[in-house]
Amino acid sequence: MSDPILLFLIIDVVALATLGACVTRVPTTASGVLTAAVCGVGALVCLPALLFRLPDTVLALPVGPPGMALHMVLDPLAAVFLLTIFLAGTGIAAFQATTAPATDQPSLQVTIFCIAGTAFTFLAGDGVSLAFGLALSCATIRKGPIWLIAPLLVLIAVCLLTPAGDAPQFDTIRAAPPGLGRTTAAAVLTCAAVASLAWPRAGARCWCHDALTAGVVLPGAAYLLLRVITDLSAAASQGWWGSIVMLTGGVVTVRQGWRSAEAADIDAIVTALIRRQAGLALIGIGLTSIARAADLPGAAAFGLRAVLLICIGGGVAGTLASLATHAIGASAGTFRLSRLGGLVHLMPRTSVALSAAILALSALPPGVGFASLWLLFQAVLSAPRTGGLLVLVPLALIAAALAVSAALATAASVRLIGVAILGRPRSPRGSGAQESAAPASTILLAFAGFSVVAGVLPGLVLSGLADPAIRMLAGVPTSPFAVLSLSGASPGYLALPVLALVALATIAAILLARRPGPEGKFAGIWADGMPPPFGLPFGEPAAQSTGAGFLPVLPTIPVAGLLSLVPKPMRVSPAAWFRSLRADGTGTTKSRIAPIRPPSAIAGIWLVLTAFAGLLLVLAVTG
Amino acid sequence: MTIVLSILTQLLHIALFVVAAPTLAGAMDWLDARFASRAGPPVLLPWHDLLRLCRKTPMAADNVSPIMQFGPAVALGATLSAAALVPSFTLGMALSPLADVLTVASLLAVARVAGTLAALDAGAAKPGLSAQRSSAIAVLAEPTLLLSVTGLSLMAGSFNLDMMIVQQREGILLPATASALVFTVLVALVFADTGAVDQTADAIYSGTSLAMVRMTGWCRRLVLLNLIGGLFLPIGMAADETGSAGWAAGIFAFLCKLVVFGVGLSAIQTLAGRIPRRSLPDLIGVAALLALLAIVLVLASGGMA
Repeated sequence: MSDPILLFLIIDVVALATLGACVTRVPTTASGVLTAAVCGVGALVCLPALLFRLPDTVLALPVGPPGMALHMVLDPLAAVFLLTIFLAGTGIAAFQATTAPATDQPSLQVTIFCIAGTAFTFLAGDGVSLAFGLALSCATIRKGPIWLIAPLLVLIAVCLLTPAGDAPQFDTIRAAPPGLGRTTAAAVLTCAAVASLAWPRAGARCWCHDALTAGVVLPGAAYLLLRVITDLSAAASQGWWGSIVMLTGGVVTVRQGWRSAEAADIDAIVTALIRRQAGLALIGIGLTSIARAADLPGAAAFGLRAVLLICIGGGVAGTLASLATHAIGASAGTFRLSRLGGLVHLMPRTSVALSAAILALSALPPGVGFASLWLLFQAVLSAPRTGGLLVLVPLALIAAALAVSAALATAASVRLIGVAILGRPRSPRGSGAQESAAPASTILLAFAGFSVVAGVLPGLVLSGLADPAIRMLAGVPTSPFAVLSLSGASPGYLALPVLALVALATIAAILLARRPGPEGKFAGIWADGMPPPFGLPFGEPAAQSTGAGFLPVLPTIPVAGLLSLVPKPMRVSPAAWFRSLRADGTGTTKSRIAPIRPPSAIAGIWLVLTAFAGLLLVLAVTG
Repeated sequence: MTIVLSILTQLLHIALFVVAAPTLAGAMDWLDARFASRAGPPVLLPWHDLLRLCRKTPMAADNVSPIMQFGPAVALGATLSAAALVPSFTLGMALSPLADVLTVASLLAVARVAGTLAALDAGAAKPGLSAQRSSAIAVLAEPTLLLSVTGLSLMAGSFNLDMMIVQQREGILLPATASALVFTVLVALVFADTGAVDQTADAIYSGTSLAMVRMTGWCRRLVLLNLIGGLFLPIGMAADETGSAGWAAGIFAFLCKLVVFGVGLSAIQTLAGRIPRRSLPDLIGVAALLALLAIVLVLASGGMA
């Protein structure tokens, strides 16, 4: 990386911080536009550093005690994450500028300081700078003393990695790698810091916070994990760290996937989908760590590609989804799924943008979410198969978590688009929604365009923006235009040809079905033969699906029931017996006792499976 | 020359598939009736239905978006794309580099999502219920399909279908126990797919849209059967460089497999009855656990990496 680029980025961050400090003295629109401009320039400055593969640059700022001056570094990992947050910051600030009367100055200030602090974190070349940037970012998005936790934990982690008597600089740590105990402690502290950073705020409902979480905070958390676990602690990397991180990611992604598929509000669905991406990133980092510990650079590269694609594509898509959701909620007066509907007719541009974002956050081709999922499955496929069942069973569980999470995200996407955007308006207030103003919808459509391009050309995005970082951490380059696997014998996922194939088949189907014949007719609102209710000549809009029932009744596990084949007789007091006598005249409490049900064939299969799982557990424990 | 041949085989495969899907559906309906000692409908009835529906005046609800109009076409297009990627009678077709098994499973999901969105766009009660039901079943069935193909991919070391089929033919797709478990899972998914067929399509679509929806369902079932046939019974499938004789043998083997699958499915459905919708979660849940077990077996056996 070039010295002027690093210097310019530092000036950019300082300008952002200054703007944040002065935001109360400048009109919100002007502050928003200025912030967007500064962020946009920052993103543009990062581009040549990535595209031309410039070497790393270090700059010591004359700040701090002698020998402890702040070190700023611009390497490929920092550059790709800077680009991501500056891109998201541009969109958020510009959107805030366009909605100026509704956007207050404090929320703009939060945006500016959060971006500035996180950018400073990325540029940090030592523990003190890292903690300082993190503190600046956390102080704006966390209330109370909890904001101090993450910076302190990260500072302690970097100090633990530093050789005794030296300043906590990254170069020093790489030159003299610490032992296993200290790296393990540092990894634990970093994970705790990341958890405190990304933990959702209880009861908070703020679109600005959601957008910052998607575009700035979660990429920042992923950067911290990558920097400490896969970069600074690489020499002493352990496979079991990766297993723990991976399993945590699996739990997060399934839990958030389920939440997204059952939430009643569109902003809650979007928030859960964004947090599901964080779980996927954790899985990717875990798989990378496992592969690094086993010295498998190819497998590590798959994990890293997945993480970076999730951060770039998911960050932009998450930001876009948050902004579009806010635009809909502000215009329709509600976020409730059961009170929205028909937005494709009322807010077509915003609906298209939200649909593009949701496609990118779900796991359907040709969205960027499917490319990330494909890479994660490839990482599972390439993961080392050594270490016994205790190491291998988590891999199987992660494959299951990925599959379940993908299906849940798809269900959530169908609910959001099908209920809120399609159909008919379900409430008078919802039917009065109006399209966002032209500047706001232009921003949304621009972000939607980037999401679609990232999904259709994931390999190009990775090779253009993330290749230097992947080469730095795994030593393996990516392939352009497609997400290809490493061996030439195994072709990979090619999104553009798949999209072309589907488009061709669809056009062929339409052309074949279109034959000379009678023109189509419109038959009014379909009411399944029922007459419209009084006062609603166009049918009852509430008869449409309200978004409930999209999740299955989970398969029953009859093993627990088998343990109590003989039901216990109920103890009935005389008073209750007389009451039941008055109620049905029989005096029996037969209806209160569950009938004896013999075990079914399904129960037998469950028992066999449980026994098999028990045997596997015994084998795993005994080795 | 090789490119021309691969394109030719690809076109032949697609044509064979489009012809076979409605014919198999008609044959299975006829077999179901024959097993129940009834005369049964004509085997070519689905073709007559398709032609009849295409001649009808299409009706649409007011206030629908283009999703309702193009949703069935997208669903059919995605299903046909998935069908084009699964080899039937020969390997090395033009699209074989794209024949990623995860992509095939996801294209089937895209088709379902397109149909579900079109149903929700109708803005009526019954289509909404239909969408909810199909989504609820898919939340269980799609991960199960993904898990089962992941198990096979872990054995083959690749997600590419051609590579997996070649390894199966050479007998190196091991361990065989895991392979058998995945076979069971896929068969269970075919039965679940048959049980999950929604009869409310008539209330949502009409004319050509309804014809496309029906064709999508038939193609979907044939894709799953072809996946089973290709991955577990790759008998007679022509290799890359085989000439027209190999193709003819491959087509004959493919048709024989369809007959076997059709008779088998109809016989089992007659003996055991169709799976009721309320039992589908149990069936798919057990299938998912079997798929997970297959993955554990593959990983524990230290198979292909």
